Amino acid sequence: MFYIHNTTCISPQITFPEVDLDQLISCTENKFYTKEIPSTDIPPAILRRMGRAVKLGVVASIPLLKLQAQLNGIIIGSANGGMEDCIKFLNQIIDYEEGVLTPTNFVQSTSNAIASQLGFISKNQGYNITHVHRGLAFENAVLDVAMLLQENPKHTYLLGGIDEIADYNFNIEYLCGYIKKNSSNLDLYNSKTSGSIAGEGAAMFVINNKHEGAVSELKALKTIHTTNEKELVNVFEKFINDNLPENKTIDLFLSGENGDIRYEQYYKTIESVMNSNVSIAHYKHLSGEFQTASAFALWVSNYIIQTQKLPLNMLKKQTVKKNINTILLYNNYQGYQHSFMLLEKA
Amino acid sequence: MAKVFVTGVGIITSLGDSFEANREGLKEGQCGLGPLKNFSTKYANSLLFGEINLSDTQLKDLLNVKESGVSRTSLLALHAFNQAIVDAELSMDKISNAATALIIANTVGGMCLTDELYKDANQKNFGSEYIASYDCAATTVFLQKKFNIRGVVNTINTACSSSANAIMYGTRLIKNGYAERVIVGGTDALAKFTINGFNSLHILSSGLCAPFDNNRNGLNLGEGAAFLVLETEKNSLGKKRYAEVTGYANTNDAFHPSTLSENGTGPFSAMEKVLEQASLKPSDIDFINTHGTGTENNDVVESKAMIRLFKDKMPAFTSTKSNIGHTLGAAGAIEAVYCILNILHQEIYPSLNFKEPIVDTNLIPEQRYYETELKNVMSNSFGFGGNCSSLIFSKV
Repeated sequence: MFYIHNTTCISPQITFPEVDLDQLISCTENKFYTKEIPSTDIPPAILRRMGRAVKLGVVASIPLLKLQAQLNGIIIGSANGGMEDCIKFLNQIIDYEEGVLTPTNFVQSTSNAIASQLGFISKNQGYNITHVHRGLAFENAVLDVAMLLQENPKHTYLLGGIDEIADYNFNIEYLCGYIKKNSSNLDLYNSKTSGSIAGEGAAMFVINNKHEGAVSELKALKTIHTTNEKELVNVFEKFINDNLPENKTIDLFLSGENGDIRYEQYYKTIESVMNSNVSIAHYKHLSGEFQTASAFALWVSNYIIQTQKLPLNMLKKQTVKKNINTILLYNNYQGYQHSFMLLEKA
Repeated sequence: MAKVFVTGVGIITSLGDSFEANREGLKEGQCGLGPLKNFSTKYANSLLFGEINLSDTQLKDLLNVKESGVSRTSLLALHAFNQAIVDAELSMDKISNAATALIIANTVGGMCLTDELYKDANQKNFGSEYIASYDCAATTVFLQKKFNIRGVVNTINTACSSSANAIMYGTRLIKNGYAERVIVGGTDALAKFTINGFNSLHILSSGLCAPFDNNRNGLNLGEGAAFLVLETEKNSLGKKRYAEVTGYANTNDAFHPSTLSENGTGPFSAMEKVLEQASLKPSDIDFINTHGTGTENNDVVESKAMIRLFKDKMPAFTSTKSNIGHTLGAAGAIEAVYCILNILHQEIYPSLNFKEPIVDTNLIPEQRYYETELKNVMSNSFGFGGNCSSLIFSKV
């Protein structure tokens, strides 16, 4: 599909600007926020006016924009976009009974606020889009970039997955039962209860067709909406048959399990149909759960391939120690949106 | 690359609830704008809206929707979706085939339920029936489940250019071999949220919007949904083909969150790139369905960009927003269906409320109905955040 070059990631862990995943940051409640991110590149007055998601996306992207002067487009996956501003504007409407309102929050409340801010900042007049399809928002951004590179083989694109914890989505997701009452990331996988912990973050990638200088190559992506395990297994087996050559093996399975007992079975099922000598790791205790957490998964996979270091806290099942050159990523959002990605060392 | 044809359409707007009703409305120069009846807002009688004359209950009865938590945005989408699949003669097997994709554009989502959202988002209750229906993807997930769609499924939000981008994404899925058939559309319902939002920007017209008129003073908000079935050359063999999707382009103005740059860099490059992509010259374009919102900023900027590209050979153009208002995330898909009407019947519909041209640009939209030869028709959609998209539909 494409090669991954430079990347950045803002997450609840130590990932920006330096990365240290051995030192596990924990949370004591059901919201796993990223740390406040200082950026010397944007005037504080401008930064203050940005909503949280926009800030996450912009601050994470600045180092990449500096490295990569020539970008042909900006492709963002974000289920919620500028939700912090959305609720602020909504509350103004009701609280002031449709009185005289300031438009700033309204303009920033649209989902495309992050991609468009990145467009303004980098003066990028190329392709600019925001995919908002919940748990497959980032996957659709990935597919979009893959198609763009089929159409324009010499181009380079900025790809990102970004979502924030705002009162709006947190309250609603809590009422929907997606979030545990009290939880810590440290015992996420043993809770035996429904729901997960809310997370947020921004993972940004410079993508093109050039093998030279690339860290990894995304070989394939498959998404499916289903609640039927049998169908899921069929899709998975076809995905492997179509995309993994017989002389290659998967070195690591990166599971998107999130501690929600209702959806554990899907991960177990996929684990069970996989070769028994595949190592298994998980990551939602690092990122928390959110619609574009799979962007964090792709970022951390690329990082593992680059450094050949798998943080111990991520390991679920270790088989024979060897180089990690091929990673299979599986994620599901609320049991009905599933994605598989196959990543290889470049 | 593979050719992509439109083999079915479905539409509901304030002009009518079908393809034919919309054609009649456009032909007769009807205006669907009026005071708001379906929900209460301070502006219900002081501003004009392109509201669909059916309540949520009537829509649910009409569509036989028994599930709870289905917002008006989703109901409008279901209506247009049903028509499109019947029109394209898609069987249920074909719809749930793994090679069938569903791409929907949307900006308002379930936020049309502004008061319910206020309570749910602020945890003022234990969650209404709409708790999982507020986001833009809610309509897509609703239709995905209802019709068991198993191919690529996506929701796009680039503000007012959303559904042009959905059509573009769907077309590219077919061209790149990720789908054989795509059901693509846009939907948005009127909402207290957007009414207050556009009002706070002072870009709502005090009367009827007057696209490209020198004294225009803003837009009217509208609601609606439109869907198109796109198919490969092979799958559409022997079926009716309304048009071919020959061009699609997406650019960014990279200037300001809610205003277009003075010279219309984004709109110009969207129109320039769409021609390049379709391998057409400016003189090959016979008609443009403009973005033409009726705001001071859009119409003069779009005019300048059109003049820069087409010079003294300006194609005929209109703004159908003068009939139905600005339907936001649905606008690109609705206007695509209107372009297909233009091509199918080889006719141009009058743009309404125009009196005198903008002094600086002097462009005059078509103001009467007439039949004419139309081969290539362009549709423009520009949105907040500088998102500019253009599409070209061509006669088969």
